[in-house]
Amino acid sequence: MLNIQKTIDGSCATLVLEGRLDSVTSEELENELVETLDDMTELVLDLEKLEYLSSAGLRVLLSAQKIMNKKGSMKVTNVCDTVMEIFEVTGFSDILTIE
Amino acid sequence: MAIKLSGRIDSNNAASVEQEIMEKLDSSNPSVVIDATDLAYISSAGLRVLLRIRKAYPHMEIHGVNSDVYEILDMTGFTEMMKVEKAYRVVSVEGCEEIGHGANGKIYRIDQDNVVKVYKNADALADIQHEREVAKLALILGIPTAISYDVVRVGESYGSVFEMLNARSFSKILETEPDKMDWCVGEYVELLKKIHGTLVPKGKLPDMKETVVSWAEFMQDHLPEEAGKKLLDMVKAVPQDDHMIHGDYHTKNVELQNDEILLIDMDTLAVGNPIFELGSIFNAFIGFSELDHNVIKEFQGYDYETAGTFWHKFLAAYLETDCETKIREVEDKARIIGYTRLIRRSIRRGGLETEEGRREIDFWKTRLLELLERTDKLTFNPMELELEAIPENLEEVQAFVDDRLEKTDCSPKAQMQIDVAVEEIFINIASYAYAPDKGKAVVRVEVSDDPVTVKITFVDHGIPYDPLAKEDPDVNLPADQRDAGGLGIFMTKKFMDDVNYTYMDGQNILTLMKNL
Repeated sequence: MLNIQKTIDGSCATLVLEGRLDSVTSEELENELVETLDDMTELVLDLEKLEYLSSAGLRVLLSAQKIMNKKGSMKVTNVCDTVMEIFEVTGFSDILTIE
Repeated sequence: MAIKLSGRIDSNNAASVEQEIMEKLDSSNPSVVIDATDLAYISSAGLRVLLRIRKAYPHMEIHGVNSDVYEILDMTGFTEMMKVEKAYRVVSVEGCEEIGHGANGKIYRIDQDNVVKVYKNADALADIQHEREVAKLALILGIPTAISYDVVRVGESYGSVFEMLNARSFSKILETEPDKMDWCVGEYVELLKKIHGTLVPKGKLPDMKETVVSWAEFMQDHLPEEAGKKLLDMVKAVPQDDHMIHGDYHTKNVELQNDEILLIDMDTLAVGNPIFELGSIFNAFIGFSELDHNVIKEFQGYDYETAGTFWHKFLAAYLETDCETKIREVEDKARIIGYTRLIRRSIRRGGLETEEGRREIDFWKTRLLELLERTDKLTFNPMELELEAIPENLEEVQAFVDDRLEKTDCSPKAQMQIDVAVEEIFINIASYAYAPDKGKAVVRVEVSDDPVTVKITFVDHGIPYDPLAKEDPDVNLPADQRDAGGLGIFMTKKFMDDVNYTYMDGQNILTLMKNL
């Protein structure tokens, strides 16, 4: 189960992710990003309520980062310890802007 | 020849009593019955008289012995030397509350402290003796139960009396205090696990497997050949098991006495694989009332819906998982045993001769055939989950593994790492093993102590594929030069202490090992 709450403020999109970002749910985030990112220069992913993240989720985060690198910036906020561990092991802590 | 004794026999009158008896006896008639109905007391002088009579008439029996005299005869070993029949107290159960209901009789409360189990069989003394013996055995093996202290006459039947103070059956609790359901489930499961964990010395209790084999043999004439054979083969394949099963474990047979849980109605005690027990529990909650929901209400006091909820919660707690796939797997096996028993029971009671009976038998048979179609064995392993390898089943697999980890002191971080590894391996199987077809995967969890280690094994029958063969991705590259491929297996290797793949006998076998 993944819940995505989106707020748009001008050209800044904030997505609050709640639940699980895994092989089954990551497609939902992917679709949401495709729909949203066109007119955006800033993307904030709030992970405070994200309980679980696997490689399928990382794949979506990486592609979002690649898109935003070309047209603006992306940051990831409120990362809990267990998710942080995953970012660190996979080198994503160097790729993503984590606040 | 009958000799009637009355009053007291002690050193004051022993000699005269002996003389009187000897005069009445006739050596041409060797059968002597002493009628002790009116005998109030017998001292050692009196006992010596009995011994001398017996010496001349070895087949002497004593009948109608009251409980005081019986105690003397029992203490002095007379009950083992000769046939001594007790005088049975007469008890009426008219107007008494029925508090239990078993395969062989009903249990009534006769006063505040005592209950009597009245046996259906009019010639029940052997049954009563059997139940006393198995109850004693269970008690010695650590199962909390009540042992009867007296045998009484109830109308034309016999009954055994138990002391039971302030006891309430779980059925009564569920009927009157529905909010206690979860508590009842917990206690009910704990006691059952204790029973199923109890090893019984060989030969002390009947083997339930023999009984179920006989049911399955009976079914050969009433099922299509192939289904019948599968049923019999599956029952025969259940390994011999010397652990105890109760055999009639429903909520009227579990009593709360003050703060203690007591098991009653022990006459069906046996040994065998727990699936046989689950089959009879399925019938108690569902099977007997699936066609007529009023049956459970009459029998247990609570309704069919409550029974269904209890059954499901019970299975989840017994298997220690909320994983529906696992619960359904074991439920299917229990239903196979349950329906087999119901069909046989109905046919033996003439079910095929009435319209209603045939309708019932058809109903159970349809379900039994469906279940036989999709089931390959009756045994189950609480640590093993078999399910279709599709991505949608991922959460089921993870929930199952997490439930197994709950018993260990697994940290949230280690749990997440295990979840990630489980996902990568399972999704790999789901995506590649059988594509474009579908197939099954088995996930087995083993936890060992000292040091606490968890081992998770994945087995599939798909094409040979070693996910570990892939080269690790470079995790130091900047975003634009990276792709996300291989990260899952990379994390799996990082998070686990050992990851191993083999292809054997047409199976991909992948094991994950982690020290906790």
